[in-house]
Amino acid sequence: MRIWRIALVVVGIALLVLGGLVLLEDVAPKRYGGILLWFAGAIVIHDGIIAGIVIAVNLTLRKAGRRVPLGVLAIVQSAIVVGAIVSLIVFPQIVKQGIGTLNPTILPLDYAANLVLFYGVLVAVTAVAIAVYLRVTARRREDAPRTR
Amino acid sequence: MDTTPHPPAPRLAWWNGDVHRLLNGLRRSLASPSRNPRMATVLGRLLGIAFIVCFGTGLYSHFLQDPLPWMMFPTRPTFLYQLSQGIHITAGIACVPLILGKLYVVFPELFQTPPVRSFSHFLERASIALFVAASLVEITIGLLNTFQFYSLFPFPFKQTHFALSFVIIGSLAIHIAVKLDVIAKYWRKKDSYDSDGNVIGFDDAPPVAASAPTSEAPATGVTGRIFAWIDATPEPSPTTSRRGFVATIAVATAAVVAFTAGQSFRPLDGVNFFAPRKAGVGPNALPVNRTARAAGVLESAVAPDWALTVVNGDASRSFTLAELAALPQHDVDLPIACVEGWSQTASWRGPRLRDLLDSVGADDGVSIRATSLEQKGGFRLMDMGPEFVRDDLTLVALEVNGQALDIDHGFPARMIAPARPGVRQTKWLSTIEVI
Repeated sequence: MRIWRIALVVVGIALLVLGGLVLLEDVAPKRYGGILLWFAGAIVIHDGIIAGIVIAVNLTLRKAGRRVPLGVLAIVQSAIVVGAIVSLIVFPQIVKQGIGTLNPTILPLDYAANLVLFYGVLVAVTAVAIAVYLRVTARRREDAPRTR
Repeated sequence: MDTTPHPPAPRLAWWNGDVHRLLNGLRRSLASPSRNPRMATVLGRLLGIAFIVCFGTGLYSHFLQDPLPWMMFPTRPTFLYQLSQGIHITAGIACVPLILGKLYVVFPELFQTPPVRSFSHFLERASIALFVAASLVEITIGLLNTFQFYSLFPFPFKQTHFALSFVIIGSLAIHIAVKLDVIAKYWRKKDSYDSDGNVIGFDDAPPVAASAPTSEAPATGVTGRIFAWIDATPEPSPTTSRRGFVATIAVATAAVVAFTAGQSFRPLDGVNFFAPRKAGVGPNALPVNRTARAAGVLESAVAPDWALTVVNGDASRSFTLAELAALPQHDVDLPIACVEGWSQTASWRGPRLRDLLDSVGADDGVSIRATSLEQKGGFRLMDMGPEFVRDDLTLVALEVNGQALDIDHGFPARMIAPARPGVRQTKWLSTIEVI
């Protein structure tokens, strides 16, 4: 394992140096500030904002766990996360579409309408999944005394 | 050297007090069944594969566009670049749910205490910070580039995306080296869980008594009360919670891939709801990357005295559009495959590049430089190696899909060659020169 470790670190450092050299060679120094700003922004937006929202949603749902079955909560939580990740990809496209593109073949679809449609299907699928889950667990509870 | 234990220096005492308690409290409240080293290994493996796939296809695309002098490229299958760049963009999109899932799993590590134990620990944490930041930026700018949202970032896309790819793969290698024992330990499922479904050899929470308010020490202050509230929330079952997490990431990845990959892979065109391009949308039923207006050729491309000049040393010939159309015409089906990931196969018609070069007595095995009518920009000049120049399928296309080229597709004449990136299928040809 030690030899692998050393090899990986050597390769890693070599690639980091190469990346740095490419950056020095290809990108004008006056742009470095912008890249650093984006690095810091990425950490702050993820570790501060996105993770914070995830924790808040998670805890709120867990609090609701006293009244709602945990399986149902897990399904709802999954749906929220899937919806959020798809939104994360589509929202910037809707914004750019609003600003305008250089030619009409870039962003030619109605992304906002498609996203609403996606939310609708997601809600429907989630509802069906919850119904199936509740029915299966109810049947298991009924069967339990007989099988044991 | 004095090795006898001694009490911590007074100035460090606060680490053992409030900050230490706060960080441990945070980690404890973030503990969750899906936050464990087995899950980090599983997601890390997938993300690592996606990163390496993106890196490999990215390098291929980079060197196809800017080859080193000795480089040769395969020309078959004709859809090779369409495939490699489609995979590059699609794998990049799949990285969004994968990296968010991975960061979710390891998030409590952010609050480890003490924050820095030693110089090597500092280096490790710094390299992780660089790795995470570079990866998030790389994926984000890649995504924004697919719909040319350049106004958002204050640096050049192509050069930054290229440089960061080395930083990321280098950081990945170091990260794997640091975590090698954890990765090896949790590589296989059967070694990772005991019969009750608990992760073997992993304590997901720091000791309670030493670090956080307990029932004996009632919650005090705002943070104390928040942690007490969190501790009182019902715990999900570990197995349900883990399966739910894996299913969520799987569904999210499947959704973002399925609803965008149609721009590169035709069978998914029917569910292309969110890709920045749509097959069949555009002049000649083809999408456009750079329009004639953006390239500044609206007038020069339709000038009546346009002619394509073919040069080989002292020999030179000019072909008007009518003369080009009078040469033997060939029909080829080739994809136009953009670096931005979209691609579409079209039927092209025109004389072979080879035949034009023969008319000025060019040897076999020469390279050419094509010049566009564009006055400036990186796409004005295009060099093509002999493997593409002599290919039967390489045309100077005059028609596409049964119509004359639209001005946005390069009227009066454009290059089309197999397995080449769209930006090197030069539009609005002006001269072709043997080099």
